[in-house]
Amino acid sequence: MMAKTKEPRIRLYFPNLLLTFLLVFCLIGTELMLLVQHTALNAEAFRKVEEAQQLSTKASQTLESYFKTRANSTGIPAELFLQYTDENTLSQGIHASVEAAFAYLNGEREQFDYSRESMRETLAFDRLETSVTDFFSSYADENGYAKDATYEAKVAQTIDEAEEEILFVTDVFKLRTLSENKWFPKIRKIASNVGTGTALCIAVTALVIVLLILCNLKQRAHIAYWLGLAAAIAGLLLGAPMVWCLATDFFSGFAVKDPQIFAAVVGYLQMLTKDALVMAVVTLAAGLVLFGVFAFCMALRREEEADISDLPGGAA
Amino acid sequence: MANNKKKAFPVYLVTGLLLLVLCTAVSVAALTVPYERAKTYLNILFMDDKKLTPSTGVNGLVIVENEDIPTETQSAAAAELPSEGEIVRPAFGEQYAVLKCEAAGINVPVYWGSSAELLERGACQTTSSVVIGETGNVVIDAHVNTFFADLTKIAPGDEVVLFTEYGIFTYTATEQVKFENTDKRYVNTTDFDRLTLYTCEAQVLGTSTTRVGVLCDLTKKQFYTAAAGEEGA
Repeated sequence: MMAKTKEPRIRLYFPNLLLTFLLVFCLIGTELMLLVQHTALNAEAFRKVEEAQQLSTKASQTLESYFKTRANSTGIPAELFLQYTDENTLSQGIHASVEAAFAYLNGEREQFDYSRESMRETLAFDRLETSVTDFFSSYADENGYAKDATYEAKVAQTIDEAEEEILFVTDVFKLRTLSENKWFPKIRKIASNVGTGTALCIAVTALVIVLLILCNLKQRAHIAYWLGLAAAIAGLLLGAPMVWCLATDFFSGFAVKDPQIFAAVVGYLQMLTKDALVMAVVTLAAGLVLFGVFAFCMALRREEEADISDLPGGAA
Repeated sequence: MANNKKKAFPVYLVTGLLLLVLCTAVSVAALTVPYERAKTYLNILFMDDKKLTPSTGVNGLVIVENEDIPTETQSAAAAELPSEGEIVRPAFGEQYAVLKCEAAGINVPVYWGSSAELLERGACQTTSSVVIGETGNVVIDAHVNTFFADLTKIAPGDEVVLFTEYGIFTYTATEQVKFENTDKRYVNTTDFDRLTLYTCEAQVLGTSTTRVGVLCDLTKKQFYTAAAGEEGA
């Protein structure tokens, strides 16, 4: 009698094991795809980093330091540039760089355009150019400096250097570098397929779950066990590297130490890590809840079996 | 029946552990090749083992200011100091000397090493030159609009003195020079004692690629502590 009841369990053990094994990686894949879709490639996430890390403040301090240092060797007052690069303007520049990047990644534009021309209005370059030109002109008039080709070249060079520096400082996520190094087309390809990828992962995960349920229709409590096992292992596997990254402060080893770039990149990576960790913890918790359900069901069944055996002429 | 249930518990437990080990092994195996490919880039990108956060504004640079450097040459004690002695090697970012030229009205702190932060505070001595007191070229520069604004006022024959905590080094200006920033002939090492002071050419507008400077010959070395072996002499 016992041999007969054990047979289906043994027969189903290995399919269950295999399906649970697959489910672990389906869950991890789905979570990673969701992470890419909702955090890694989400403009809103970049804006959150910008706000949380006060990137415009850091960019403003970097520019202030740059123009003051330059003033020591050029004699051009830093205020000439700094009056047009307040935190609000820089914040708009950072937003514009992120928007330009996502316009390209989402296929709305064919090129990532974060140039002096495209940012002319946002970063008040017209006013800055007028200010520099006026300063040079009055300086030349006061000192009897000839307004020749050399003079014009110096005006142009000063404006070029200043605007390039402002663009460099507001490109906190180094999106221009990514676009110049041909990383952007690859990311664009990923971005265009991430929705399909997520849907596919969810569909495969659902299919594996359905198969697990079908395998255990006669032992329904075991559905909770196998699903719980898959969720717990997926949570552990996804969470462990994230815990390591956060515990060792791995991302703070980032080599680029420009304050605004460091804060943007490290802040972004830490946000991704924390989001992944939250997903891992939720999955692990779901697994533990399912284990609890399984234990409860087994205890309930044991009680029912005991009740039946206690009845006169019961199973015993 | 209860015994069967008790026997089942280890099976559930072992199954869980087995699957955890299996999934971990598969994950590690699957990630090995991508990790090997990315390892070099990761090592470069996250190479800072000290994990410095650039919040100080000086990017981890430790700047040491020193107000205790004696700058008195006229005392009798200074005249009796030995001409050979111990040199104290400075740390990067440490102010270890004071440069004085009374003829040009220059009196500036000298830092070992060169960076934007140090140039804000005084003159900087490039670490590729020799420490003051050693034989070779001592190369010091500063901004033209701040500490070396009057550098071109130093004329041949003027006295330039470098005060350190370990001695006093007196030079005489011999030549004013002008060179491009790509021209290294005045800032390269030498096998004789020389002091090279330079700054950007003061331009009416914008930065200049031209450098102006002064070359000086060492005329007197005075150490506060005699070199080992000379003390008894």
